[in-house]
Amino acid sequence: MKTLNTVGHPSSRIDALLRVTGKATYTGDLYVPGMLYARVLRSPHPHARIRSIDLSRAQALPGVKAILTHENCDVIWGSGDTRNKRYLFNNPVRFAGDAVAAVAAVDRHVAEDAIRLIQVDYETLPFVLDPEDALKPGAVEIQPGGNLSPNNRNERQPEVYKRGKIDDGFQAADRVFEDHYTSSHINNAQLEPRVAIAHWDGDHLTVYTPTQGISNCHTEMARDLKIPPEKVRIVCQFMGGGFGNKNQNHDFELMAAMLAKQAGVPVRLEFTRKEDFVSVHGRWPTKQYYKVGVRNDGTLTAIQLRGYSGMGPYRKSSGGIGGIEIYQCPHVERSVYPVYTNMAVSANLRAPDYPQSVFGLESLMDDIAYALQMDPLDFRLKNMTRKFNDQLAYTSIGLEECIRRGAEAMEWKKRFHAPGEGTGIVKRGVGMAMGSFFSNMGRSSAVIDVDSKGMYHVHVGVTDIGTAAKTTMALIAAEELGVPLENINVIWGDTDRCPYSVGESGSRTTTHTGHAVVEAAKDLKRQIAEKGMPQGNGMLTASVNTNPPIPPNVARYSFVAHFAEVEVDTGTGRVRVTKYVAAHDSGRVVNPLTATSQVKGGATMGIGMALHEQLLYDKASGTPLTAGYYHARVMTHLDTPEIEVHWIETEDPYGPFGAKTLGEPTIIPSVAAVANAIYNAIGKRVRDLPITRDKILGVLA
Amino acid sequence: MKAFANINPRDLKQAVSELQKPNAVAVGGGSDLLGMVKEHLVEPDVLVHLRGLRGFDQVSAKGEEVTIGGLITLDTLSREPMIRDRYKVLAEAAESVATPQIRNAGTLAGNVNQRPWCWYYRNGFPCFKNGGNRCFSITGENQFHAIFGGGPSFIVHPSDTAPALVALGAKFRIAGHSGERTIPAADFFALPKVNPARENVLAPGEVLVSIHLPKTAHSVRSTYHKVLDREAWTHAVVSAAVVLEMDQAVCNSARVVLGGVAPIPWRLPKVEAMLAGQRITEDVAAKAGEAAVEGANPLAKNGYKIPLTKAVVKRTLLSLA
Amino acid sequence: MRKISRRRFFEGTGAGLVAASTVPLKGQPQTPVTPGVPRTTIQVTVNGTRRKIEVEDRWTLVEVLRDHLGLTGSKIGCDRGECGACTVLLDGKPVYSCSQLAVWADGRSVQTVEGLARGGQLDPLQQAFIEHDGPQCGFCTSGQLMSARALLNRNPHPTRDEIQHAMAGNICRCSNYNRYVESVLAAAGTLSASAGRKA
Repeated sequence: MKTLNTVGHPSSRIDALLRVTGKATYTGDLYVPGMLYARVLRSPHPHARIRSIDLSRAQALPGVKAILTHENCDVIWGSGDTRNKRYLFNNPVRFAGDAVAAVAAVDRHVAEDAIRLIQVDYETLPFVLDPEDALKPGAVEIQPGGNLSPNNRNERQPEVYKRGKIDDGFQAADRVFEDHYTSSHINNAQLEPRVAIAHWDGDHLTVYTPTQGISNCHTEMARDLKIPPEKVRIVCQFMGGGFGNKNQNHDFELMAAMLAKQAGVPVRLEFTRKEDFVSVHGRWPTKQYYKVGVRNDGTLTAIQLRGYSGMGPYRKSSGGIGGIEIYQCPHVERSVYPVYTNMAVSANLRAPDYPQSVFGLESLMDDIAYALQMDPLDFRLKNMTRKFNDQLAYTSIGLEECIRRGAEAMEWKKRFHAPGEGTGIVKRGVGMAMGSFFSNMGRSSAVIDVDSKGMYHVHVGVTDIGTAAKTTMALIAAEELGVPLENINVIWGDTDRCPYSVGESGSRTTTHTGHAVVEAAKDLKRQIAEKGMPQGNGMLTASVNTNPPIPPNVARYSFVAHFAEVEVDTGTGRVRVTKYVAAHDSGRVVNPLTATSQVKGGATMGIGMALHEQLLYDKASGTPLTAGYYHARVMTHLDTPEIEVHWIETEDPYGPFGAKTLGEPTIIPSVAAVANAIYNAIGKRVRDLPITRDKILGVLA
Repeated sequence: MKAFANINPRDLKQAVSELQKPNAVAVGGGSDLLGMVKEHLVEPDVLVHLRGLRGFDQVSAKGEEVTIGGLITLDTLSREPMIRDRYKVLAEAAESVATPQIRNAGTLAGNVNQRPWCWYYRNGFPCFKNGGNRCFSITGENQFHAIFGGGPSFIVHPSDTAPALVALGAKFRIAGHSGERTIPAADFFALPKVNPARENVLAPGEVLVSIHLPKTAHSVRSTYHKVLDREAWTHAVVSAAVVLEMDQAVCNSARVVLGGVAPIPWRLPKVEAMLAGQRITEDVAAKAGEAAVEGANPLAKNGYKIPLTKAVVKRTLLSLA
Repeated sequence: MRKISRRRFFEGTGAGLVAASTVPLKGQPQTPVTPGVPRTTIQVTVNGTRRKIEVEDRWTLVEVLRDHLGLTGSKIGCDRGECGACTVLLDGKPVYSCSQLAVWADGRSVQTVEGLARGGQLDPLQQAFIEHDGPQCGFCTSGQLMSARALLNRNPHPTRDEIQHAMAGNICRCSNYNRYVESVLAAAGTLSASAGRKA
């Protein structure tokens, strides 16, 4: 791979100085003169009809300036549910934490006092928490039409993918294996809790909000408030993470806007950490039933999955259960049922369809390899995908190299042994898993100006949720323009100044917006060649909108393989990850420094998901018990092993300099790698996430 | 947060007097209390901030006894050379609490008086601890609840220092409106069958002023072993505070107290009797582990605490052998 | 490694900064006084400067720092003492400022992230965090810095294990823990040559 000037060299984040000096202004650091503070009242019940709301005591509290409920606010949050009408305040309320009222007051303490003075008369309704239970006859209907959420064709059918004929596949098999797995609801748990400041200037609305995509947030705010897009401005200069829960627009932004309208002054609406855990969304819990056929030589003949995803009561996201595409197999059938439940809403969290699914799939593939007395590494090398869905050529594929390089770095042959082998109380084992993540191209825009001092101003609609997107755009611009990085100024995070970007979602910023930056740079270079550099106060501007197609006969994917070694104390059930290797093919890596940090982060999140995290519900009351960092057992410094990262840079003809998706693949195989390592260590399988101490002691008993 | 007034009493007499006011609560480091006020688990009108009281945050030795002021921070306590040297179980227990930030603020008295971390209680369920008349863990999620001494409430006592203090045979000096009293640490904690709303006998308006440790011989070995639910920053799933009085390789007498298994620090007299006069061998330690769980009453989801307790007791003993 | 000079940082991000501050202003808003809520006047030394301020007894230290003293570098991640984003040094020791009332800081000294750089010079930890990619989203960064600063004040050459213990009370959901430890080792001058500044 050709060495470039700027791209491909480790570079510090261009805004790191602001972040380490406390000068980076996150939404919560901003004050607008005269602003009120707002809080939201939420349902304590998982399912209830609101008979009446008495606001009188709240209204009488000095300092209260505006109150919204379903009675005076019928704004529909379009992105909150892609199948049903989801209002800001719904009646009935459908999960413990569903919004009932919002109050704006002179300070946050008064606002909090006020919401506690609101009296709501609820008629509780039956509720259901488990997606399979929700499909049983007699289960309470959560949304009109039934609890199976309609598929992409608006049918009450599961999402189905098929190739070949599954029964032929089982016929061709020498052995058939069946097993099932469950995964839990996990919260995104980004450090920055939700906060929005809404400010009307006449009929023009500005919203300061931590969003992963100002452009989509902008379009959707205008849509939901029924105002022209040119009357809306979205600003996000810095934001403290999201991992998928700050995409599109959100109800809290709409509530802030409506409160500000009612009160006639700006409003800042804040969520508590518990609200952020319960009333936004998290990763969908799943139940996965697999049936897999193999020949005695280890060749896969059939993979069948029937999966259920608990979506909560509002369908915000796909509910997909992915991962099968990492295997080559002639006969595949996948049916996924996204189901309404009365739990917290489920939607996007880093690689939404994958780590929970790969946990199930890779646990079973491991078991199959062992049953055939094959090394799971060899089983995967044999059966790994060569063509997407066995049909389309990949634009580039470094999966095999990822597996081999990762195995070597893990010293797989040395550390691998038969499951449960060894006589000590503390047992070590190794496990691996592999995965892929789509890397399509798509729509984006970029504007680049150059001034007479030779400074290039790159306007992009990114907000940088921690991915170093601004730095990546700067590196790409510098490379294509052929100028030093110091000559690049990035302008971001403001819809008044930045063109369209899908934002940081689906790991698409580098590929989509980066590509637009390349095209804008090319255009600017042409202009400079034609007209010369600008003089005095002059500027040259290149403004491009791109949506480059990838031919329909190829597929563009990133590939990953993770390897974990764990130590299991069979006396106490404690699991420690003692060695961890991640091998990634994301095409050309634009910034190896920040990209490596991403992998370390994603892998660590995956370890937490494997061993600790869940939003646990009390079944009797339908209310969550583990909201908050303490009870959710989020990973700490002491939980985190050294994550070793290896880059396998494949040459890819698309994307900016051949870059492919990077941020989300980092978590895809990590849960499975840890689970498989535990199995290798103790010879017993836990099929239910998280794999906590009690479950390990349980299988060892 | 609810509005309240903070009072910084200038001396203990004033502190006790302020605590007689309606809806007044004492606060040491304040970390746990503020969290509970924010969650509306307690709704005080007055906070009596004890931290400013002089002379209640020191360790001093007087003759046979060591006196520890109740307001000493957990960090200071864990670093105090005399405590590390002669009462290691207490230093280790204090050091195992939460995180450095909490240890820099949290006091010993506060840790001993800490309210439970049961997720039903902390989430405001109308249970015994919240003024109600049931315990939701019995038929609910009870993974972290009691296997001994439970009923009608099944919380586990959340303190790390409490089992250490009971194992050391500490005495607690309590000051209140009607004067002062000194009671053995073991008598400070009370089972739910006494009063399910409370974990100890501290009456409203009373303050745990100081903790008194008996002098220890140099032949005493002690340690605190804590099992956490991630690698840092949780309460004990199961813990063991062990104090052994050794005569060379033979254990003359033992005190073994468990945390994380019962609503009070759970002393194991049968295990203590077994160890008297014994060398701590692999076999003796294993038998002690078995004896430690005799009579345990697990709930539906916390049966794993039984093998865990066996392992913890055995290993803690062997670590002192 | 491509280094970017401080001057370029400020110029380069100037446009961004201006965009952020055109309407919203950092600093002390006019908070109306809520009647009936107990208030106290306190004196706190913040980053070396003595400040006198009237506060509601119920205001937390982090609230006062952020909303009333214009020091928004300390963040609120959970407001329950469960994440560490609000870590400041109180009389030199790291505490969760969300779990301290402002009135309890009366007569004491507080150091926040804004007080780390001295005389225009970054703290070596801040420099190391930049070079070793400490912050991803940056929201936990101030708290991580303060815990690390307290550690190095007490123990100038900590081991990896000591660093992880000292910073165990600071959650990073971006999970950039490896980089933070690397940064602290670098700041302490103890990052091994083989680890270096690698990508």
